[in-house]
Amino acid sequence: MKKMTKKQKIIIAIIALIIIAGIIITATIGLNFDLRYQDSKKIELYLEQDFEISDIKAITDEVFSNEPVIIQKVEVYEDTVSITAKDITDGQKADLINKINEKYGTELSADSTTIENIPHTRGRDIIKPYIAPFCIATLIILVYMAIRYSKLGIVKTILKVVIISVVAQATLLGVMAITRIPIGRLTIPMVIVIYMLTLVGLTSNFEKKLKENNKEEEAGN
Amino acid sequence: MKKIKLLTMTLAIILVTAVAFFGVYIPVQNRMEDKVEGYSYAMDLKGGRNIRLIVDTSNKTEVKDSEGNEVEDADNLTDEEITQNGYTKEEVPTNSQDVLTYDNYKKSKDIIEKRLSKLGVDNYIVKLDDKTGDILIEIPENDNTDSVISNIGTTGKFEIVDSKTKEVLMDNNDIKSARVMYGSNNTSTTSAGTTVYLEIEFNKDGAQKLENISNDYKKQNTTNETNTTNVTNETNTTENTNTTNETNTDSTESTEEQKEITMLIDDEEIMTTSFDETLETGKLQLSIGSATTDQKTLQNYINQASSMAVVLDNGNMPVAYTVDENKYIISDITQNELNIVLYVMVGLVAIALIVLIIRYKTNGLALAISYVGLASIFLLLIRYANVVLSIEGIFGIAMVLILNYIFSNKLLVKLKKEKDVGKETVNKQLKETYKEFFIRIIPICIAVITFCFITWEPISSFGMIMFWGIALIAVYNSIVTNLFLKIKAGK
Repeated sequence: MKKMTKKQKIIIAIIALIIIAGIIITATIGLNFDLRYQDSKKIELYLEQDFEISDIKAITDEVFSNEPVIIQKVEVYEDTVSITAKDITDGQKADLINKINEKYGTELSADSTTIENIPHTRGRDIIKPYIAPFCIATLIILVYMAIRYSKLGIVKTILKVVIISVVAQATLLGVMAITRIPIGRLTIPMVIVIYMLTLVGLTSNFEKKLKENNKEEEAGN
Repeated sequence: MKKIKLLTMTLAIILVTAVAFFGVYIPVQNRMEDKVEGYSYAMDLKGGRNIRLIVDTSNKTEVKDSEGNEVEDADNLTDEEITQNGYTKEEVPTNSQDVLTYDNYKKSKDIIEKRLSKLGVDNYIVKLDDKTGDILIEIPENDNTDSVISNIGTTGKFEIVDSKTKEVLMDNNDIKSARVMYGSNNTSTTSAGTTVYLEIEFNKDGAQKLENISNDYKKQNTTNETNTTNVTNETNTTENTNTTNETNTDSTESTEEQKEITMLIDDEEIMTTSFDETLETGKLQLSIGSATTDQKTLQNYINQASSMAVVLDNGNMPVAYTVDENKYIISDITQNELNIVLYVMVGLVAIALIVLIIRYKTNGLALAISYVGLASIFLLLIRYANVVLSIEGIFGIAMVLILNYIFSNKLLVKLKKEKDVGKETVNKQLKETYKEFFIRIIPICIAVITFCFITWEPISSFGMIMFWGIALIAVYNSIVTNLFLKIKAGK
């Protein structure tokens, strides 16, 4: 068995630290979910005219002190704005409506505007649709790799693919937990890309080893 | 001659790039219209229909007799008649207090998710407010959206009751599955055409109950009607794909008084009938509408039957909901933000290509020009291949660009090792690069093909984009890059 180089040892230690720290942070503080997936409040305002998202953003930055908000246009005429924030107090609602009335000349009143509760999205609901596709793809890939790299040892190859793929994803989530990067719409695409790059890396590594193996066999003959 | 050929190819690539990035504008009715197909966006980039289902807090009026039993056809009774008969009127909540629990809210949410899946909705978000029981749904906006909404909110309560005593003989707990079937109807008395059926398959207990009921409620005096129906499975909600021949129950008039059953869905009477024979198969086929040859009418019947099948197949919701909000909300990712992503990608590609040119000089330049051509054709291809673009799809585009960069770099490394780059060397090195590159991406190809067959839109978007990208890398480099390098290598 080949001895690990100092560089490899350092990399493994860093990865282990990231994963352990990630697990501790996730278990204690939890992951930081994007506003889209959190419990939040929503308010809809009929502006009676087309508007620019950037103008509304300027107003919400003032009212919500630069807290993250989701601003969306509603319906086909795009004359209603939907504003979602972590929390909207009655004071903030009144302030927001005053500023909107000032900007767009509308006569909206705080009394007739309701604040809707938006429940959170459960993490398992986010990942549920991706579990079956990933399992099916991984299973077929494992069968292919077990056949293609049988000379390198079937069990060893399968274990290596499974462990490295899991470690790669755990590292990504660990980094997200430590850096508090929100779990949002970009998380799943990032998981897919890491999965793909891990596969390329593993195949390159196996191909290299297979080549060396074949050379050794030829030299032996 | 060599220079002219190279220049012609470069100009052709510039032209394709201009079309891919800026479009082809032609005047149409005093305005300029881009004739190049636009991107088809998924729900995360386009927006979707937002529906809020709230727990039904309304009351329903029930008329009860002196023994506390509910009186049928109470709607037709006047207040005077109610008093005369000694009946009492009661206001009863649609959802009794004991059903308003977290478990029931959760069960309702799960049923809605199953219905959305069965209705073929390829992307949805369902959120549950644990406290109030409100359910928020976001689904893509298309021609079927309204039909989907009409199905998800219904309770789906199924009952077969004695038409007189109102005793519940069967309910949702007896159903195993429901599916839509259609078949040609060759009867002596009915007109020819296609009949749509809703087939309800019952579980073991249900099948036994059905056998007993069909025996108890058998027609005492039936008409002489030969009903031979070739029923073919059309769309089903389970895995059964066998062609079956069944005897169907049709509502027919009988001259003698006899026991009849009434089928209710969401307390609405669907049919009152009796049985021609004892049903031992555990399956009940209900004809939806009459036999028809009109495609529009037929499609309408199929839609009706499909809706009923989806609702029945997933059990009834323990809590009754009403649609409170139903709005199309545009994505918060604006066109400007998408353009920024595009500019960033173009910028990164430009830097990477400059690195290639610096490292590999003229060969690097040739591959860089070829790379730009591939990227442009790829952007056109995903538009004309009707691939839906989601955030995952954008990452798919980035992955394809990375893969082609790896391919180009590998080829350039091999060419750099050669002292004399002639046509044969180009051929040889291109073949080797192809072999090395595609062997390394076989696992990616497996994953991509798997993702293409998945109905969940974000992942199929990634799969389809990667599929077209990898196919293009294979075809384009063997033709364009090969030709480019051969012209350059030619004397």
